[in-house]
Amino acid sequence: MTSLRPILASAWMGIQHDIAWTTPVLSVALRVVAPFASAMTVSIIYWFGTTSASPGLFNADRLAYVLIGSTLYAHVASYAWVPTVAIAEGKNLSVFPHIYITSRSTAFYVAGTVLSSFVISTIASVAALILAYLALSSFLGTQIPATVTLTSVAMVAAALVANIPGALGLGFLLGAYSMYASKFEWSLPGYVAGLLMVFSGALFPTSFLPWPISVGAQYLPFTQFIAAAREALLPGTSGDYATSMGLCLVGGGILLGVSMFVYFASERKARKDGVIDRRLA
Amino acid sequence: MASKGTVSVEVSDLRREFKGKGSPVVALDGVSLKVGQGEIFGVLGPNGAGKTTMIRILSTLLLPTGGWAKVMGFDVEHEPEKVRRVINMASGAEKAGYDFISAKKNLWFFSQLYGIPTATAEKRIMELSEMLGLTKYLDRKFYALSTGYRQRATIARAFVNEPKVVFLDEPTIGLDVMTARSIREFLKEQARRSERTIILASHNMAEVEAICDRVAIIDKGKIIAAGTPEDLMRSLGAPALVMEVSPPQSGFEMLSRVEGVKGFTASTEEERGLSTVHIVVETDAAARAAEDAVKREGLKVVASWRKQATLEEVFVALVGRGFKEREEQDVV
Amino acid sequence: MKARALVRLWSIFGEPLWIVVSMGFPVLSSLALSLLYYSIGAASYVGFAVLGGVMVSFWGNVLWSMASQFYWDKQEGLFEIYLTSPAPISAILIGMSVGGIIGTVPSALIVTGIGWVLFHPAVNAVWGGVILTFGLTLASLYAMGMTLSSLYLAYGREAESLNEVLQEPVSMLSGLYFPSLGARSPFPLAIQAAASLIPLTIGMDALRKTLFYGNDIWQVWPDLAILGVMAVVLLFASTYALKYLENVGRRDGTIGVRIR
Ligand SMILES: Nc1ncnc2c1ncn2[C@@H]1O[C@H](COP(=O)(O)OP(=O)(O)OP(=O)(O)O)[C@@H](O)[C@H]1O
Ligand SMILES: [Mg+2]
Repeated sequence: MTSLRPILASAWMGIQHDIAWTTPVLSVALRVVAPFASAMTVSIIYWFGTTSASPGLFNADRLAYVLIGSTLYAHVASYAWVPTVAIAEGKNLSVFPHIYITSRSTAFYVAGTVLSSFVISTIASVAALILAYLALSSFLGTQIPATVTLTSVAMVAAALVANIPGALGLGFLLGAYSMYASKFEWSLPGYVAGLLMVFSGALFPTSFLPWPISVGAQYLPFTQFIAAAREALLPGTSGDYATSMGLCLVGGGILLGVSMFVYFASERKARKDGVIDRRLA
Repeated sequence: MASKGTVSVEVSDLRREFKGKGSPVVALDGVSLKVGQGEIFGVLGPNGAGKTTMIRILSTLLLPTGGWAKVMGFDVEHEPEKVRRVINMASGAEKAGYDFISAKKNLWFFSQLYGIPTATAEKRIMELSEMLGLTKYLDRKFYALSTGYRQRATIARAFVNEPKVVFLDEPTIGLDVMTARSIREFLKEQARRSERTIILASHNMAEVEAICDRVAIIDKGKIIAAGTPEDLMRSLGAPALVMEVSPPQSGFEMLSRVEGVKGFTASTEEERGLSTVHIVVETDAAARAAEDAVKREGLKVVASWRKQATLEEVFVALVGRGFKEREEQDVV
Repeated sequence: MKARALVRLWSIFGEPLWIVVSMGFPVLSSLALSLLYYSIGAASYVGFAVLGGVMVSFWGNVLWSMASQFYWDKQEGLFEIYLTSPAPISAILIGMSVGGIIGTVPSALIVTGIGWVLFHPAVNAVWGGVILTFGLTLASLYAMGMTLSSLYLAYGREAESLNEVLQEPVSMLSGLYFPSLGARSPFPLAIQAAASLIPLTIGMDALRKTLFYGNDIWQVWPDLAILGVMAVVLLFASTYALKYLENVGRRDGTIGVRIR
């Protein structure tokens, strides 16, 4: 129970620090803009490409596939890299060394900030998905299929939660890096988002990637997370919900274990090299 | 005061090198010391002496490259978790805090990282703020606090977990005299009343003289003297000689050839058109000889007087030069 | 101004890793969107995604290096130095733009190279038109960056969030990866009109015309004229905004204020 305190306090601090410069509502509203626009962009590309290349190519199911995938990869990307910022900012504000020397590990701080941004990011992504759905239906004049029932929403919520270990793992890996990084970590979100776009099956099935990359991509927990959520909203398009959930949890667990190991190793090395309390511009 | 009983900090032959681009920098070069529970222990030395490095090692932020250190019996290198439970630290230069969060919430946040229940934490924050005169400003956002209050908040944070040992790196740097004094009173109170050990790195002699039970003077990573401030100052024998010399001079090399002169430190006041030299002498005869040596160079001694030694003179006696000259030497 | 461009270049090429870092998103997103076009049976449009990747490099550079630069400089206490130096601040901005453009070229080339090797996108280009359009697009895009960077001075930490808010919607509206103007646009006319206020929108449209549809300069001259006008107007706007905000800053004492 005493471990819960530092995690919750860090989550609180993460949210506060995030929204302190404006009102909470405006801050969340602004966060909807980016995932909304990127989901729109990707969906429009699908629409434009299929309707321009040859008649009859367009398929509303596939549009929904792309729309959901693009919202979800953006969701992962937007909260998994938060530890990088939390650590970099902590160093800039000189608080990181003081967090480090408390009797709890900085891992609690990292976990707390990931959780807080998971909450914010989930609200923003759901809103973005709904808005993009409405905007696309109206602009493109098509009926986009989606199964929205109490069960399917619960299934999506379960998938979002099942993806936390994997995202936290990614967060720890990035955090391990930013323990050392200078100002490069500011471009990491671009990398994370870009890699997820290519490898998580968000925009096209991983089978389009060349072998053996396709196999690796297939078993990423993030790929399985997107597949599970998609299966809930578009039954019968992406395989089996339960299998995806299982693979997502197992993959996420493995990633989390490995990344915590890397994180602690990086922390130890940082202490040896004297960079824990190095301030970075 | 080391005789007070339990030893709370023990350092043995501690070394730390930094590998740089050129030759490695030796920041700590075999430091050993023992500090008793409830003691305020000063680490005094010029810029670059290794004070911060020592604090970083003792507060588990940095690993030593040689020797060992124990805090409350726990090895800082191998048992950092146990050490962290009983320590805290603050640096006056850093003023760590989340800008957009109030001072109070900043303090609360750190208390949570120690797993302290909120009610207990809030009570403690109020007490500490009361003692540090911070209460009125607790609800201000951290960035909106003036330097002095940010520093008070930083110091309050270092006591929020009721640590047994507190490491402070230049806690009153850049503060006005009154604020600095009230912080020193607070530290004394914490050591006396709550039996906390305080290790205070500083290059402010007056501060160290005023509140430290014992002092280690450190230069180039080595302890060159240790003891109570009184003992250290008494060890000098004769009072120091102060001379105002005109015209202003940059070097007083002739003094180093005078028998019985242990060292000197000079500063120039351009607007008054003179240099002031502090000379540490072994005997009164040496003081007269020093004055003669200056006059022999054709310089005019505008005024001269004798003065009770301070820690600065102790340093001068040991190193031959003052803090300032030592720091300038490093740059070259 | 030259000095400022040189400083920028030096800091980029002095740290080659920086190129690797800043090209991450353009390269990967362009790859992903190319694959998307490819996977849906619209391989003939892969070129759009590659071109988008090239241009998103510059757009990202405008946002993250140009627009927020003064904000960062302010944080590091450099901005006061610019203000008090005799060089006109617009000269510093132009210097930064030139440095930014040259520094982004490697990333743009890598995007092009990868796209070329993997997908062999079909082009039907009038190269003179492409080069002229490209130049004018960059000029107006960076002039917009200069204006943004002046406006950002008025803000503190919000600058970063503003960047995040601007990046994707502008990418979408300006049609970095698909036509956002004209008959093939998914957007209603009102949105298209609003989107045309962004120089990048006009530039992307003209670039696609000259690069993929074989239009020559005479067919895209209205676009080019608009781009030219936009560049000049934005250049003046940025200087004006800067002067204004400088005065406000001096009056309110916000220039030297840094929020860590
Ligand atoms: N990370 C580092 N890399 C290389 N050298 C370092 C590093 N940290 C400290 N040093 C060097 O170690 C020496 C001791 O530094 P330290 O900060 O401990 O001095 P200090 O006594 O605290 O000085 P000050 O009064 O200026 O704070 C200096 O020569 C410094 O340059
Ligand atoms: Mg120091």
